[in-house]
Amino acid sequence: MTDAMSLGRSTSGEADAPLPRPTGGPAIAQRSAAPAAARSVPAFRGLRAVLANRKARIALMILVPIRVLTALLPWLPLQAPLQTNLRAMMKPPSFTFPFGTDRMGRDVLSRTLEGVKVSLFVGFSVAFISLVFGIVLGTVSGFFGKVVDRAIMTVVDIFLAFPSLLLAIGLVSIVGTGLVPVIMAIALADIPRFIRLQRSLVLGLRSRAYIDAARTVRASQWWLLSRHVVPNTIASLLVAASIAAANAILVEASLSFLGLGIMPPEPSLGNLIRDGQTYLEQAWWISTLPGVVILAIAISLHFLSDGIREVLDPRSRK
Amino acid sequence: MTYAKSITDTILDVRDLHTHFFTDTGIVKAVNGVSFELRRGERMAIVGESGSGKSAMAMSLIRLLAHPGRVVEGEVWLEGQNLGSMTEKDLNGIRGSAVGTIFQDPMSSLDPVMRVSDQMIPPIARHLRLKPKEAREMAVGWLDKVGIPDAARRIDAYPFEMSGGMRQRVMIAMALSCNPRLIIADEPTTALDVTIQAQIVELLRRLTSETGTAMLFITHDLGLVSRFARTVAVMYAGRIVEIGPTASVFRKPRHPYTQSLLRTIPRISGESRERLLQIPGFPPDMKRPVVGCAFKDRCPAAHARCLEETPEAQRRGPDHAAACFLPNGLDDAPVAVAAVAHRTADEERPWRSLPRQDVLEINNLTRHFVGQSLLPWVKPPTVRAVNGVSLRVRRGETLGIVGESGCGKSTIARMLLGLDEPTSGEIFIQGTGQMVFQDPSSSFNPKMKVADIIEEPLVVQKRGTREERAGKVRSLILQVGLDPSYLDRFPNQLSGGQRQRVAVARALALNPSVVVADEPTSALDVSVRAQIVNLLCDLKEELGVSFVFISHDLSTVRYVSDWIAVMYLGEVVEYGPAEQVFQTPAHPYTRALLDAVPVLDPEAEAEREIRVISGELPSPMNIPPGCAFASRCPKVTPLCRDEKPALVQRRPQRQEACHHAG
Repeated sequence: MTDAMSLGRSTSGEADAPLPRPTGGPAIAQRSAAPAAARSVPAFRGLRAVLANRKARIALMILVPIRVLTALLPWLPLQAPLQTNLRAMMKPPSFTFPFGTDRMGRDVLSRTLEGVKVSLFVGFSVAFISLVFGIVLGTVSGFFGKVVDRAIMTVVDIFLAFPSLLLAIGLVSIVGTGLVPVIMAIALADIPRFIRLQRSLVLGLRSRAYIDAARTVRASQWWLLSRHVVPNTIASLLVAASIAAANAILVEASLSFLGLGIMPPEPSLGNLIRDGQTYLEQAWWISTLPGVVILAIAISLHFLSDGIREVLDPRSRK
Repeated sequence: MTYAKSITDTILDVRDLHTHFFTDTGIVKAVNGVSFELRRGERMAIVGESGSGKSAMAMSLIRLLAHPGRVVEGEVWLEGQNLGSMTEKDLNGIRGSAVGTIFQDPMSSLDPVMRVSDQMIPPIARHLRLKPKEAREMAVGWLDKVGIPDAARRIDAYPFEMSGGMRQRVMIAMALSCNPRLIIADEPTTALDVTIQAQIVELLRRLTSETGTAMLFITHDLGLVSRFARTVAVMYAGRIVEIGPTASVFRKPRHPYTQSLLRTIPRISGESRERLLQIPGFPPDMKRPVVGCAFKDRCPAAHARCLEETPEAQRRGPDHAAACFLPNGLDDAPVAVAAVAHRTADEERPWRSLPRQDVLEINNLTRHFVGQSLLPWVKPPTVRAVNGVSLRVRRGETLGIVGESGCGKSTIARMLLGLDEPTSGEIFIQGTGQMVFQDPSSSFNPKMKVADIIEEPLVVQKRGTREERAGKVRSLILQVGLDPSYLDRFPNQLSGGQRQRVAVARALALNPSVVVADEPTSALDVSVRAQIVNLLCDLKEELGVSFVFISHDLSTVRYVSDWIAVMYLGEVVEYGPAEQVFQTPAHPYTRALLDAVPVLDPEAEAEREIRVISGELPSPMNIPPGCAFASRCPKVTPLCRDEKPALVQRRPQRQEACHHAG
């Protein structure tokens, strides 16, 4: 899955993006991104602080091994995800098949890992896309105000009127199924929330004395935004982004479960659960074990966002 | 006052109180063994800098501490009842009935979604066992007593329909309404303007002596103490270092900390061109155990014994005690305390050879904020924040602008720096203007290091190479009296005073001709305030920079300024040399402002006839046609209400806008 492997590049790419303040967030989920963050000192401080947080550490202790396993999948002594084995159908968990096999004798563990790869890719892609659009449109809306603000916020309010799952279902049924349409559909439903959040953060920062101080020396709008406004919003947005990632993973699983997402035989956590649903009484492991993995990932991401928030705002602890 | 003398029994007895805050990073020992007694009808002031434990101590008395705080030792006896051993339920009965509280911020101490009546009547009904109707009558009576006009109607108002001063009056009425024996007031006037502060203090003084209620009054304003309190307790690092009758403590302070504090404050009266005393160093970190005297690191009279032993409170006179080994504090110091150096104004400075021309000129400046009209044919509401102001500042001189909140002084500052566009009028600045802001916590980007903060104006203006800029930043930080090692720190690693120094360094980066300082010292503690004031005065001498110093703190403005402009409702009502304006104020408003400021001499305060002006600032949306001050002026005549007085010069250098001046 080269798509999923590119995940590492996309997160570190964000750290180098023109918005200059990389903080721990996505970089942590991906070890390879850490050196990029280390280049700038505040980000490194942020990363260290996040690692020192107990909740964030627990989350990473779950997420990092899962991600490493998915990357090592081709070299693990497991049956390939798409390979069927008619001599071992519906076998319960054992040493050769730790998660058991399904009705066509496929290895549930390797299919789950393959599904996790897709899920994480969906989660982080959605978070990243929402983050970028949210920052750009939210900043413009909050900082410049007036007509632009009114136009953007009207569209945002229309989108926010629909529940995100419903919106995603609607969009997928228009653009079709598959990985990219699913990501686009979920992101489109999330972007308005990010715009809202970023706009409110920018409104709060706009009247800070340091912005006035920079204005008195005739700093350009670009200088104000890139130096003073956006860097001070990134941290809060990362909290929202990690929750959005968890949410996106669940929405993708729901879509696939409904047959609107990733299409079989390509595995995804959602369609794995759907496949096993029919055999829940004879072979509980087919649905249950991928479900447990989704749960673990979603909880970890929530823990991660809690951890980031606690680092940013120590008062929220307790 | 006679009441207090006739009944002398103890109402509150605090014994060896210890309060700790159990935070994640360690135990903060906020209160370390405080003992005192308070008699019926007595007004005691607790003074100290922020972090001295004064609020924690007061809140410990009635166990209203915020979350990680806990009283770990000591007893609190209120009229023979031990509050420490009471259940939360019994204590709730005491709070609000036997003990009333008034907090600092009138904006947040009333529930914004409840009418005043709904917040006031139920406690009265409950504590005094009255029927709702009787309780309501009583509440109206109290609102009337605290000076709320039309109380029977205003009682049904929401807090947002009232001004800050009105809300604080409501708080006082609520605190007094259940006939408490004790009132705890935590900085009750800090958020208010001076004239309103004077009204509130007068009110508290009158009501407590009428009812015989004892009062514990927490403040950092020593002037207020001298006007208001009979007894004063000075707190430092969680202990009372000096306690005694206000007159005796102010006349002859015995503890080095009290002595230093009283000398850091510029006087409002008399000649004042000496350098202010500054207390070096910082208060101790309350997470660490204090060995010896807590003040030893900042005390010029500290000796070997202070390093090891903690001094206990010792008697220094009738009811007067101080916790110092030296009976007379600094006056007993074996080494002479560094003499306060006089300013050397005649020293040769290169800028003095330049012509003394105007560097800043404002002509007929106005700024009107036009709101949004609900209906297209209705005239939109207009706030006339600045209404035709003309001022000039010469090279190397300081113009002080004083006035209460809403008088337009900050709007002028913003227009001077191009942060706001004037509605009409002209501003000429020779060279550039820079700003030092009020709030040191929001004036820096928390993600930037001190070096980047000071360098920012140079980078934006593309001045010099990277090395030249680094050199300039280094010389700037030295100029404001900080070590270059601070350049690597982030703003949250600095104290309030250090941040304000960095703010000054940033303002000086582009060699401005004018620096506008908007309330630069009001968020700082008194000892630190003196440091910043000295710094600004030194810079003016050295560099010939002109300052526009905006503040509501009259004694500081007087100390730093050469010229004073007194503003009222967007207009200058009096203008002249600082010394003259303060010594012989011509406009009734200037006189009222000066009257409102307490002096640091309790005996003089007692004799002084305080003419508190009544009422509040009219709304700038609806300015009266005649003299703006007419609604509050003691000398008002029909002429004032019809005709607006112009700012005219009657004596050399002095201008005032009053029909009856001179």
